[in-house]
Amino acid sequence: MKLFKSWLSFWVRFFFAAQMAWQGVTINPLRSGLTVLGVAIGVASVVSLMGIGEGARLAVIKQFESLGSNVIVIKAHDASAEFAPEEAEELVERVSGLKYASPVVNTNAVMRWRRARGQVEIIGVSADFPELRDHKLIAGRFFTKWHVEQRSPVAVLGYNIGAGLLGGRSPVGQTLTLNGQTYRIVGVLEKKGSGQAENIDDKIVIPYTTALKIAGKRTVDELWVKAESAKAADLAIAQLGRIYRRKLGLDVTAPKAVTGGGQQAPGVGAEYPEEPQPSPQPEEQPSLDLGKDIITITNLNTLVEEADKANRVMTLLLGGIAAVSLLVGGLGIMNIMLVAVTERTGEIGVRRALGAKKFDLLLQFLLEAFYLSGIGAAAGTAFGIWGVDIFNRYGFNAVISADAIKVAVFVALSCGLLFGVYPAWTASSVPPVEALRR
Amino acid sequence: MEILELKGISKEYRSGRGTVKALSDINLAVKKGEFVSIMGPSGSGKSTLLNIIGCLDRPTAGEYFLDGMKVDRLSDDKLAEIRNRYIGFVFQKFHLLQGLDALGNVELPLIYRGIGSAERKRRAKEALDAVGLSDRMRHRPSELSGGEQQRVAIARALAQEPLLILADEPTGSLDSNTGRTIMELFQKLNAERGITVVMVTHDRDMAGYGRRIVRLLDGRIKEEEFIVKM
Ligand SMILES: Nc1ncnc2c1ncn2[C@@H]1O[C@H](COP(=O)(O)OP(=O)(O)OP(=O)(O)O)[C@@H](O)[C@H]1O
Ligand SMILES: [Mg+2]
Repeated sequence: MKLFKSWLSFWVRFFFAAQMAWQGVTINPLRSGLTVLGVAIGVASVVSLMGIGEGARLAVIKQFESLGSNVIVIKAHDASAEFAPEEAEELVERVSGLKYASPVVNTNAVMRWRRARGQVEIIGVSADFPELRDHKLIAGRFFTKWHVEQRSPVAVLGYNIGAGLLGGRSPVGQTLTLNGQTYRIVGVLEKKGSGQAENIDDKIVIPYTTALKIAGKRTVDELWVKAESAKAADLAIAQLGRIYRRKLGLDVTAPKAVTGGGQQAPGVGAEYPEEPQPSPQPEEQPSLDLGKDIITITNLNTLVEEADKANRVMTLLLGGIAAVSLLVGGLGIMNIMLVAVTERTGEIGVRRALGAKKFDLLLQFLLEAFYLSGIGAAAGTAFGIWGVDIFNRYGFNAVISADAIKVAVFVALSCGLLFGVYPAWTASSVPPVEALRR
Repeated sequence: MEILELKGISKEYRSGRGTVKALSDINLAVKKGEFVSIMGPSGSGKSTLLNIIGCLDRPTAGEYFLDGMKVDRLSDDKLAEIRNRYIGFVFQKFHLLQGLDALGNVELPLIYRGIGSAERKRRAKEALDAVGLSDRMRHRPSELSGGEQQRVAIARALAQEPLLILADEPTGSLDSNTGRTIMELFQKLNAERGITVVMVTHDRDMAGYGRRIVRLLDGRIKEEEFIVKM
């Protein structure tokens, strides 16, 4: 038996079902409205909560990116293990794949500018610093290797400081004093944004040689190196691990002898990339046995990946929680459709008596469920976008994620269809005699 | 020529409390153009019989031929198609859709037949005209009187151009005057268009509009009576 005599016949019945379905939605506006609201709340919470998660993820990525790519940070956590600043240069020579290196000295100084004075944060680095951390200058130039060797009193200002001194005019060529010594301003860094790149915008950058003098130290607790590529960074970190383990007296070939000696052996913790490297894996054990790592070698790329992974999980978790309310919305549709079918059993009977086939009724009730979920999805998306806006006004970094909208709308529509199928099926299989008795 | 032929039709309802034999061994033949009234006390199986004739229900046993086709074992959808093609229904409670106006209600069976809008409207208007309601086309059922609603229902059946109109107590919800107008309408359609009418009624007077009365008792045909008109 052919279901349709012709295309005309199909469209006539299709449009009529669509029309009747719409009538079903509008005949009880309050009830339909509440059902739609249920779906809309589900979609809106998916869109806005996933927006928050996604926003947090992007913020973390941006923050790490502001630190420069393929950067490895070598940090000493004990004064005895600190580095000679020249080591940075040596590392570039010794370890293949490294391009730039800088010791880092963090300290404070009292700054005087004309008649004003105040405490500022100082960061002492090498001339490689702009390349290393992907900094650009908006005025002047960065100090050179020569300046570093000469311990020249030159300063490059972070954006906020640089912009503040002369009310926006370039202060390059002017002088200021740090702890009483006069420094020439040679450049101003481009803005990185608050919270980005360790707040470089509010710092003054000077040669590390000069900074060590201010700090009254000879060694540094941090070395930054930059590899040519992500792959080079992965390889370099293995080599760096070996170098520092040996330096600390941890014999790579006989780690047990050292730890077994009873002395407080220094340890090296290296954060290796995920893939197994040609480095000797078992040799890492001693550093794990020791309570605290004395030197940590961190590949920022790996940190980014890990933070990204964690944030993705959080986004999915938020989305999952929100999806529960979407499911509740779907159940609302099913509930209301079952009520509609029961209510309209008599009507279904009349339609059946007059020649409506199962298809006609199935289509009509499915479309009704589909309308409810469709309107819910549209309203929910609008609410969700609005919600993201509100969250942002209260200090979140939520974003409108196209993926979240796609997923939410898709789930809402399929919920509508899925939860509509059962009631529609019930409607289409009511025997006409039963239905007419009502 | 027989338009419908029932051979040994039985209908049992099985439920938790046992089986009810609503019809047993019904043999009935109706010729094209006849006007048959079915009478009988309440619970005698009149509605059950009419539902089987109308292909709304299937018999438990027996054979049923409608216009020469054996229809007692067809699928639901096939039966829907047969109802749509051949059978017009008029019910006691009118059974119009409240959401549609008179025209829409009359169009309904034609929609399920898949007829395009223009043709549908033409035929629906014609049918409403035939029952004298062309001025009430845009009224909803709730805005019509009982008699008018029943005329819309008849127009709906007419628009189908059916072989057969089945009516289950069509005047049961109407006062006797209105009832008589409805019966006259049936009589006119039967006489002028040759549409076969099978009607269930409690009312001896209404039954008298037909030319043959079938009496049921306890699910069996007790007697048949032919009315000879002067
Ligand atoms: N769905 C059903 N389930 C069980 N028994 C039923 C069902 N429908 C009808 N019956 C029984 O079948 C018998 C005949 O019912 P039917 O409705 O045909 O009577 P009727 O002659 O139309 O009565 P009335 O004049 O009151 O309408 C009754 O005894 C009734 O109880
Ligand atoms: Mg009855």
